[in-house]
Amino acid sequence: MSRWVISGLRQGVVTTCYPTRMETAKGTSPGLPARLTPMADEFGQELVDVCPTGAIHFERGEARVDYGRCIHCFRCSRSARYVLEWESGFEWARFASDGSNFVKGAASWPKAFRKSMHIRVVDAGDCGACLNEVKQLNNPYYNMHRLGFFITPTPRKADILLVVGPVNDHTRLPLQAAYDAMPTPKLVMAVGACALSGGVFGPSFVTGTGVKDVLPVDIEVPGSPPPPLAILHGLLVAAGRKPPMPGQDGR
Amino acid sequence: MFFTVFAVLFLAFSVAGIVCALLSPERGVALSLGCFGGVASVAMGAVGVCALISDTPFEVRLWSVPTVGPLMLSVDKLSGLFLLVSAFVFLATSIYSVEYLQAYLKHFNLRTLSVCYFAIMLAVGLVLSAADALTFLVSWELMSLFGYALVNYQKRDEQSTRPGYLMLVMGEAGFVAVVLAFLVIGGRGPGNLLFSSLRLHSASLGWHARWAVFLLSFFGFGVKTGLAPFNRWLPQAHPIAPANVSAVLSGVLLNLGIYGIIRVNADLTPLATAGPGLVVLLVGAFSALMGIMYANRDNDMKAMLANSSIENMGIITTALGAGLVFMTFHQPLLAGIAWIAAFYQMTNHSVYKSLLFFGAGAIDRNSGTRLMDRLGGLSKHMPLLAALFLAGALSICALPPTNGFVSEWLTLQCLLQSSVLASRSVKVLFALAGAGLALTAGLAVTCFVKAYAMTFLGIPRSNQARQRARVRFPIRLAMGLGAVSCLLLGVLPTYVIPILGRVSELLTGVNAAAALVPPFFNGAPGHSRLPHSFLSDFHNLGAQVGQNLLPAPGLVVLHRGHAQNPVVFAMSTSYMLPVLILLASTLFLAVRFVLARRSKTVRKPVWAGGLASLFPELTYTATGFSSPVRVTFNAVFHPQMSEERLELIAGHFRNSITRVVGEVHVFDRVLFQPLVNRASHIARTLSRMHHGRLNAYSAYVLGTLFVVLLLSRTQVEEHVVLSPALILIVALILDRLL
Ligand code: SF4
Repeated sequence: MSRWVISGLRQGVVTTCYPTRMETAKGTSPGLPARLTPMADEFGQELVDVCPTGAIHFERGEARVDYGRCIHCFRCSRSARYVLEWESGFEWARFASDGSNFVKGAASWPKAFRKSMHIRVVDAGDCGACLNEVKQLNNPYYNMHRLGFFITPTPRKADILLVVGPVNDHTRLPLQAAYDAMPTPKLVMAVGACALSGGVFGPSFVTGTGVKDVLPVDIEVPGSPPPPLAILHGLLVAAGRKPPMPGQDGR
Repeated sequence: MFFTVFAVLFLAFSVAGIVCALLSPERGVALSLGCFGGVASVAMGAVGVCALISDTPFEVRLWSVPTVGPLMLSVDKLSGLFLLVSAFVFLATSIYSVEYLQAYLKHFNLRTLSVCYFAIMLAVGLVLSAADALTFLVSWELMSLFGYALVNYQKRDEQSTRPGYLMLVMGEAGFVAVVLAFLVIGGRGPGNLLFSSLRLHSASLGWHARWAVFLLSFFGFGVKTGLAPFNRWLPQAHPIAPANVSAVLSGVLLNLGIYGIIRVNADLTPLATAGPGLVVLLVGAFSALMGIMYANRDNDMKAMLANSSIENMGIITTALGAGLVFMTFHQPLLAGIAWIAAFYQMTNHSVYKSLLFFGAGAIDRNSGTRLMDRLGGLSKHMPLLAALFLAGALSICALPPTNGFVSEWLTLQCLLQSSVLASRSVKVLFALAGAGLALTAGLAVTCFVKAYAMTFLGIPRSNQARQRARVRFPIRLAMGLGAVSCLLLGVLPTYVIPILGRVSELLTGVNAAAALVPPFFNGAPGHSRLPHSFLSDFHNLGAQVGQNLLPAPGLVVLHRGHAQNPVVFAMSTSYMLPVLILLASTLFLAVRFVLARRSKTVRKPVWAGGLASLFPELTYTATGFSSPVRVTFNAVFHPQMSEERLELIAGHFRNSITRVVGEVHVFDRVLFQPLVNRASHIARTLSRMHHGRLNAYSAYVLGTLFVVLLLSRTQVEEHVVLSPALILIVALILDRLL
């Protein structure tokens, strides 16, 4: 017991410096391909073919990556003749493109969550990867409590609904029930490519194209799975403490 | 004059009740029990009130028995208080029984119950008014026997009679101890068994005899009171008894043990040393703690209430012990306060425990189960019952301004007064007892939050709990009586304390009530301990509000120590109640009209984890609620899980796993089982002597003779002792040789 205290003191603070400073440690983020890359038509068409989730579109001499579908499989940076640049950051969260009233500006963004926010996590049929990353937020390295974020066991006390997974048929009603049970004002954050677009699963015979089919989404966190820091960024964006990813604010 | 009238009325109506029970048709028995029992208990209460009011005890000389001497009845203030409290419980129980017994009509013989009920009423009256050892012991025994008959009334099979049998056996062991205690008091003594002569005689007892009297009587009465560790019978007896019998058992019979302890150790042979008082104090605190821990564990409502009775008896005994210690340290005022606290707690316990047992009985009868894990949501179709039960639960949790608060507050305060005592070790023990009681009070809240919430709130957990039933008038009346008394005893302590003060004055010789209820209303300046300036400080706080409305010295309970110990403790539930009501209503109005205006209220169905609707398995159970307590006190409960695996196929695939969680009560585990093991071990060793050889048996006879002669050596010549010894030795040698 006493050894535990001493070794803890000796260890010092291990928690990430984000969001005060940018976290630069290796391995905290898988990164994403560059969003816009001008190139010749033949290379672009090859890239479109190489992408397994159809995240790359080629229009007017530019390869455009839809982060909502990208699963960082690295094919576009390795298995093509003209590869895309790889970006290593993690501040990917953005406002949903056709999102809720808050996003559209019909209602003003809730200010009450600036200091603290209670999160209800809903697993809407995810494979476990995103859920695992969400779980990491509780550990000493990411330690989201220091920022005033807490996970609650009931939507009754929740401010924000964090949804992972593509929303399959069986989770649709519980997801709606959880959203209904939350007090207003409430936010919805979709985490992971599946939640954003159906990912590798959808649209298919059991899933649609993500959370936006069911609920008005406010914040989207791309990545498959997004690293914990990206989710943290999403939460900070939801709380109004960080700006969304530049050029991706969706509004 | 009045006293005689009421006593005769009590006797007449009890006997009439018995006669009527035997003669009336089966259907009318419950009603006749209610009517006659009610009137008889009112008469009993009136006797108690007479005794409390009058300054001299009422005495009735019965006949004189050869070799024993005269027999006498006498009702002094102490008996009066116990009579009054018992009468209240009997009254409520009689009313309650009218309705409650209807369920027993077809299946059980109500006549037996009715006769036993009146018999136990008479026996209780007799125990409390006995003024000689013989009457006391005989009526005590009658009370035990009728108590056994009542508890075992619904006997169905061997299993359900065992607890009653245990109760009888432990009660009898206690009875033997009490008889021995009386023998020690009056052993070489006065020639008759009157309490008055025993009282005179006891002054000459040595300290050995005093300790013997104390230990024997404390054990004997403690068994009946349910003090640890001899209370194993109580939580087992309650669940098998009908609810009205449970109410009498908890509200009346347990108190009689307290009566016995006080009668013997504070009245007949007042303690001379602090030791016995400290034993009482610590045993009390220990019982309270153990009782409430097991009450937290139990999910059977009646077993839970029984364990909570043990807790309450523990609190009473702690206050009693504090009083005994204060007396031996020549602090009669503090002793008086401690005893007032004990009597207050006792009165409260009788009132709210009978109320709660009535509630448990009504629930049991309507739903057919007492298990909290299977109940739930009852407040929807029994709102009144729920409210009355809540009143009882709040009182037993000692939340202000209920009666339980007043008495527990007084008990804790008087334990804090140990600072006046000179001995440091005694102070430490007082502090320990106080800490134990504080923990007990906290656990009591957990326990009754569980009891109320799991039974009345939430959703029904079984079909039994879904049954709708009406709670009829007699039950409502009986419980209402209890609830109103809880409230009155709670908000008007300054009316109750002077009455209890009269009783403690009998034992201490000092009027402690005057030191607890200062004259804020009439402001008499001649109070030595409370100077005028001190009183006027409280006047500024509003202690005189209600001055011209109420006939009382004041509504504040306040005690101020003397110069070395100027501790002040003060409390007023009377003022607290209106303030609480005011605060609560202000809060309600504020929320309703000010805060609610700013935000919109939206009603949504209960969150059921995303499922279509909530079902019982999703909700909190009683076991789950008490889990933190179980885990915290794991060392006490010590649950053990045994696992049995059935692996048939290839020794790898499990067909079934049976897990059994067994729990042995801590007293059984630590105390009784080792004792039993030891005893049977000794018995096994001794049984080797019984091998059937004749010479050996004759050697035993000779040996016994030798020992007997050795013990009475003083009167016998040497050679008389030695000759059997020689024969014995010869016999043993022969035995070896042959
Ligand atoms: S990393 Fe894979 S999924 Fe993402 S854009 Fe490139 S190819 Fe497509």
